[in-house]
Amino acid sequence: MSLSFQTLAALRFGYGFRPGEAVSADRDALLDPMRISDGNCLFPVGGIEARRQAIGNVADRLRDIRSSDIDDAAKRDEQKAIFKELQQSYQRDADARIAQAVFSPYGFYERLAAFWTNHFSVSVDKTQPMKLIVPLFEAEAIRPHIGGTFPDLLRSATQHPAMLIYLDQTQSLGPDSPAGIKRNKGLNENLARELLELHTLGAGSGYTQDDVRSAAMILTGITVDRQAVEADFRKAAAEPGSHRVLGVSYGRTQRTERDYLQLLNDLALNPKTAAHISRKLAIHFISDTPPQAMIDAMTQAWRKTDGDLMAVYGAMLDHPAAWTSEGTKARQPFDFIVAGLRALNLPKNAAAGAIVDPLADDVDGAQAMASDSPATPGNNSATPDNAPDPQEAKRRQAAIDATFYVPRGLGIYALQRMGQPVWRPPSPAGFPEGFDAWINAGELSERISWARRAIGRYGKQDDPRQFLKETLADAARDDTIRVVSQAPNKMMGLTLTLASPEFNRR
Amino acid sequence: MADDKAFPLSRRGFLASACCLAAAPIFTPVTFAAMPGDNRFVTIVLRGAMDGLDLVQPYGELSFASLRPDIALAPDKGLVDLDGFFGLHPAAADLLPLWKAKELAFVHAVSTPYRDARSHFDGQDMLESGGDHVAEEKTGWLNRALATIPRSTARKAIDINTSTELILSGPNVVDVWASDSNFGMGADEMQFLTRLYANDPAFAKAMDEATRADQSAKMGEEPGTKRGEQIIDVAALAAKMLLREYRIASFSINGWDTHVQQTAQFRKAAGDLTQAVLTLKSTLGPDAWKTTVVLAMTEFGRTVRQNGSGGTDHGTGGCCLLAGGAINGGRVLGKWPGIKDEQLFEDRDLMPTADVREIAAAMLYRQFDVGAGDLTSKIFPGLSFDKSSQFLKV
Repeated sequence: MSLSFQTLAALRFGYGFRPGEAVSADRDALLDPMRISDGNCLFPVGGIEARRQAIGNVADRLRDIRSSDIDDAAKRDEQKAIFKELQQSYQRDADARIAQAVFSPYGFYERLAAFWTNHFSVSVDKTQPMKLIVPLFEAEAIRPHIGGTFPDLLRSATQHPAMLIYLDQTQSLGPDSPAGIKRNKGLNENLARELLELHTLGAGSGYTQDDVRSAAMILTGITVDRQAVEADFRKAAAEPGSHRVLGVSYGRTQRTERDYLQLLNDLALNPKTAAHISRKLAIHFISDTPPQAMIDAMTQAWRKTDGDLMAVYGAMLDHPAAWTSEGTKARQPFDFIVAGLRALNLPKNAAAGAIVDPLADDVDGAQAMASDSPATPGNNSATPDNAPDPQEAKRRQAAIDATFYVPRGLGIYALQRMGQPVWRPPSPAGFPEGFDAWINAGELSERISWARRAIGRYGKQDDPRQFLKETLADAARDDTIRVVSQAPNKMMGLTLTLASPEFNRR
Repeated sequence: MADDKAFPLSRRGFLASACCLAAAPIFTPVTFAAMPGDNRFVTIVLRGAMDGLDLVQPYGELSFASLRPDIALAPDKGLVDLDGFFGLHPAAADLLPLWKAKELAFVHAVSTPYRDARSHFDGQDMLESGGDHVAEEKTGWLNRALATIPRSTARKAIDINTSTELILSGPNVVDVWASDSNFGMGADEMQFLTRLYANDPAFAKAMDEATRADQSAKMGEEPGTKRGEQIIDVAALAAKMLLREYRIASFSINGWDTHVQQTAQFRKAAGDLTQAVLTLKSTLGPDAWKTTVVLAMTEFGRTVRQNGSGGTDHGTGGCCLLAGGAINGGRVLGKWPGIKDEQLFEDRDLMPTADVREIAAAMLYRQFDVGAGDLTSKIFPGLSFDKSSQFLKV
């Protein structure tokens, strides 16, 4: 039995059906949205520019506390207050992250955004300010490059402050560089190792420890400009001389920024990178054990186009295996929750009454800001009363839209319980991929429990037979249709639909 | 029947402290197996590559302090002297009474056969699967061991959390221990779920485990207990299960990937390990402790020289810890390779002089009578049991 194009497009390449939303008619309809510039991303709440300012402000405030002459207990209290604001900001962004996937009509784009963000894993748990920086990372370093080339994506992800902080690059100094000698500090290999092992060539692809160390040498000098919130190249920290990675020399006596950019470019275009990431994409979308022919076709498209990602996605979609043997992958917790909320047609502003306009400058709004919106300090609000700006209005609406859409018990807290908390991957390798990691006793219990609660809140009135049809279309198996239609009550019938193997596979 | 809580399907999650740099699961699962007899075996996987040279410091080596100016200690700087050559990190000082009672030992300069690539993910796979090279074995060595233990008719294993750790995953049955988020399914509703999954083996198995686990759930639980988030909770739970019919337990401690400013991070992780061992001992009580062996091990060691940011990078030779009333400890075991430049592995790491699997094999042999043939073929392919003999009398 083979499923219809529309069903596989929705389940395998998207987040499932949402009532009333147009379905993708063909391959091009899946790919076209990759070219969107992503101006409607719901996070970081408040918008990119306000977030950059907020990051600078928090850095300043933390520095002022450290250098002030109040006693340690008072310092701790002030820091704790800031950390609480950061946590609240993170939670709001995480809510928006879920809402983004639920409400976007571009399922494949959203799934790819999740894939690449996981490929270039960074975590809000690394340092406190990362709670502000990681949402920015996905919004500006990942999403705009999803339909571009891998060399661009790699450069953008690697150079982002989130990555440089997460993998300790900000701590690495060339041992013989002026800064290294002066401060008696030196190399940190972390970014170099994960760059080779995870982000490009892949583990076991033949590079050596010497390659890792040399790559780390070439990366010295890159650090973060905390005020501009962007990567900065500091010559004084760069290890002088030339260093060989995979047989290629980078740098002369004078090291420049060009050396590491050249290294990133060479790694991005290395055939092993093409094979490693093509395989990873096929494993993520198609099967834990994808056919080699599909991986080869994707690798070839990559090499022919110097890493044009649209060509690689196209090669995956054009391979016959993309449209057969459905249901072998497990939906990960994020996929499951987003698909469930889409199936239930979660209304916008579900938690009416809890909505706070994070950019409002009236008294109530300002109070709300003072207590839980460090990302958009009142005096930095870019909305002067007398100057209505369409861009600003759009931004404001996006911020409102993102606020409190998904009740947290069904959203961010549920994801935490299921082992896939938003922007908190367990390691630089990201969340696990295999079926067994996500379908087991504990996970299934959580999913059944979630389904019951979500149905209780949003779905009580639906007819289970109709719900099953809208949610799974021709993917519903006969025995599932029978069990659902015989359920002792509506509530149970609806719960069984979201708990069914077909809904949890893709 | 809706209120009939005959099958309160549930589970309980353990949130580990958030350490993002090691290849650690978000949760710390605890896995258990039941065995005949009184002997008990606990494995603790130290995820992120513990710096053995920090935990058990060779302060007797002349060059040690200069190789690690910010990390190395000495007895006059808080290091707890063990034998005049090695000293214990002060964060583990509470283990000293165990050392004196010969209930604690360390084996230095050990590693798995994984020697030159230093990836956490491959390293942990090797440590837990027990294979001779990466991806040779797909199941965990502790799970394979279950099938070889003589007279074991009830080889029941139990898993707390969303996933089994690789070390105890495999064909032998695993239950899930659970306690909160009861959602009170009626018996009829449970039947519908069972029917829903009847034709899908993977889901049917998960459902079956979730249901059976509920019986076990009540065993380890005390009314009103909070969800465990601390290593003490995890260790106490493991010990409580070991006081019932379970004889094997396994869990992880995260936080050992110390690339930056190691001193603070290591103190926390070493403190966790210390607390875990002490909690196991105190919860088990003297009688059960007498028959218990704890083996804490890690995927690889770290560089002998400290790096440019007061931390250490991925290395090879490491250290493992043995504890329990069943061991004859009070010694640092293993062949010490030295840390002069020419003695290092690839000019950076402590040279491994023993295979951590040799120690694990010896413990399975002495605790559960697992035969040498099974140990070197089914459980640890390619291992020579001769080399395990030095650990049999520990």
